[in-house]
Amino acid sequence: MSKHLYRLAPLVLLLFGIAAMLQARDLSLGEFSSPGPGLWPFLCAALLSLTAAVLLIVDDPADYEPWTRGTAGIALGLLSLGIFILLFQEIGFIIPAVLMLLIWLRLFAREPWRWAVPLAVIGAVVFHLVFVEALGVPFPDDIVLGG
Amino acid sequence: MGIADGLGEGFSVALDPTNILYVFIGVLIGTVIGVLPGLGPTATIALLLPLTYELEPVTSVILLAGIYYGSMYGGTITSVLLQLPGEAASVVTTFDGYQMAKQGRAGPALGIAAVGSFIGGTLAVVGLILLAPPLADLAVEFGAQEYVALTAFGILLVTYLGTKHPVKALCMAALGLLLATIGQDLTTGTGRFTFDQVELFDGLDFVAVAMGLFGVGEILYNLEKTEKAEQIKSRIKNIWPSRKDFKDSSGAIARGSVLGFFLGVLPGGGGVISSLASYGMEKRRAKDPSRFGKGAIEGVAGPETANNASSTSAFVPLLTLGIPPNVVLALIYGALLINGVQVGPQLIDTNPEIFWGVIASMFIGNLMLLALNIPLVGIFVQLLRVRGGILAAFALLITMAGVFSVNNDIFDMWVVLAFGVIGWLMKKTGFEPGPLVLAFVLGAILETNFRRAMITSDGQFDTFVTRPLSGTIFALMALVIVYSTVMGIRRQRRGRPPALYSDQLDAAAPHETAPGSEAEGTAGVGATGDRADGGGSPGATGGSTRAEP
Repeated sequence: MSKHLYRLAPLVLLLFGIAAMLQARDLSLGEFSSPGPGLWPFLCAALLSLTAAVLLIVDDPADYEPWTRGTAGIALGLLSLGIFILLFQEIGFIIPAVLMLLIWLRLFAREPWRWAVPLAVIGAVVFHLVFVEALGVPFPDDIVLGG
Repeated sequence: MGIADGLGEGFSVALDPTNILYVFIGVLIGTVIGVLPGLGPTATIALLLPLTYELEPVTSVILLAGIYYGSMYGGTITSVLLQLPGEAASVVTTFDGYQMAKQGRAGPALGIAAVGSFIGGTLAVVGLILLAPPLADLAVEFGAQEYVALTAFGILLVTYLGTKHPVKALCMAALGLLLATIGQDLTTGTGRFTFDQVELFDGLDFVAVAMGLFGVGEILYNLEKTEKAEQIKSRIKNIWPSRKDFKDSSGAIARGSVLGFFLGVLPGGGGVISSLASYGMEKRRAKDPSRFGKGAIEGVAGPETANNASSTSAFVPLLTLGIPPNVVLALIYGALLINGVQVGPQLIDTNPEIFWGVIASMFIGNLMLLALNIPLVGIFVQLLRVRGGILAAFALLITMAGVFSVNNDIFDMWVVLAFGVIGWLMKKTGFEPGPLVLAFVLGAILETNFRRAMITSDGQFDTFVTRPLSGTIFALMALVIVYSTVMGIRRQRRGRPPALYSDQLDAAAPHETAPGSEAEGTAGVGATGDRADGGGSPGATGGSTRAEP
């Protein structure tokens, strides 16, 4: 079974393509002489399904990289980004930015605390200055700056 | 407007202090990211796209173009000193450049690369000036059929040239076209694939998609690779090449300029292919081909010239036809679109300041690069001490803050994150993001013109082949498909991968290399790629386009 696990990618693409074809059909296809909104997406989805079906049969397993221990780290990194976005929405830029930089500098760059902490704080403040003060981007209200 | 008038206007734009500053920033950033492995021109330009909202259209193109051709210079440095290509187009330079460095000739190798790049870049600008206006005049005659033909040709070539698996690339192109249809239908106003989410009514934001796939996806992918700080052992001295070096490489530089120019104009061409082709050509022409791979200076001069020439000439199809020939140009095209500039045959007439300003800035930029590179190589090398992890942390924060600043919308941050995951999974499963993004950018043009052609021809498909111009292009497309299929089958019989240029790679490489074969280099550390057999595949590659809010 695990020998065929790599076929999962084309399979997902194939299912996605077929789902999109069905969706597009519901949008009304029209005629070639007067195309409806669904015609073009239908053609694209058909091409996607066709190529995915071909890949399901001919694809080269050597093309797929194995999962490593690093993969778990990436999941953690993604989680930290997701939390960053949620916090950013609620309490502004500075605290989430410091936290995210700390996590990334400690976990992935393996910087010692004495480097990670100042880098994270200075980085967050500099980015705040660049984006908010210099470029005038309206970040959500910041609890540190009293919004 | 004649060439003299145009150049006059161009230089008046490019010599504006702000624009000079941005040329400088562009080529400097380009050189720096060219040196740093793991952050290529595609990722950098994607990450900096939000910045272009703040700039005049011409300034933003000047900046992004500077990053593109600057990275071609920068990638050379690490190829020569560490056998570590900073971006994909420099892979070829490692063959002879690193050997030269081992023989204590790192200086002349870097010097001739800088001089060759300057000559190649400058000659390509001249070619651009001569070729672009007549091409644009021709393109004014284009109807919907021709645009369908051209965009389809562009997508097809990007999927067939410079990718390892044409079917996989075509699959990604189809996905890109499909993703481009999300949002309101431009003709009828019907919402398509919006799932009643207000955020999706305007479609997916191009910037967010590109930043996710190239920026975040690339960073995540590199995170898995173990990395260590590199030490430079060879000292660099005598960077200015000797008279003999110049004599030996003058032919290679001349041929590299011409070859790079024409391969750059071709959709799907670009840096990687032109440097490979130039290396192959020099090796074939050499009296003693066995010198190659052992420190032949022509093997550095030719490819470096060619990749710079191609990065300039790639602007020809963009500025005259509105068709980006590779992924980097697709990003620059996107930057112009979000600034409200109509890119197409009329650009030279309606926005002469953009066309001529960018051209003039390239002269200045190439001059700056020559001035930056020869004396400052030692300083750029120090950049290698910056560890990838630190770079990744800050690049991610810039991405997140940057994408928010585009529409001041949290939703776009989720889109970046979702496409970051997709981009990472694509890399893990051998699907390339390049064709997807190119198709995503061209999707709207292709659809609009396809529907227009269908309506005017009353649904007859022969309208595409009976018109002389579009008929010719479709005939060319058929030729490419037949040719590459036949070649693919032949190669497979000989037990080689079914992709164009893979045989040149095999022939050129003295050791096992698998350069990142993207339409245009993103990470470019492919030479160290260690792909093992088997293993599980993730598979959410297609995934939903909806990011859960």
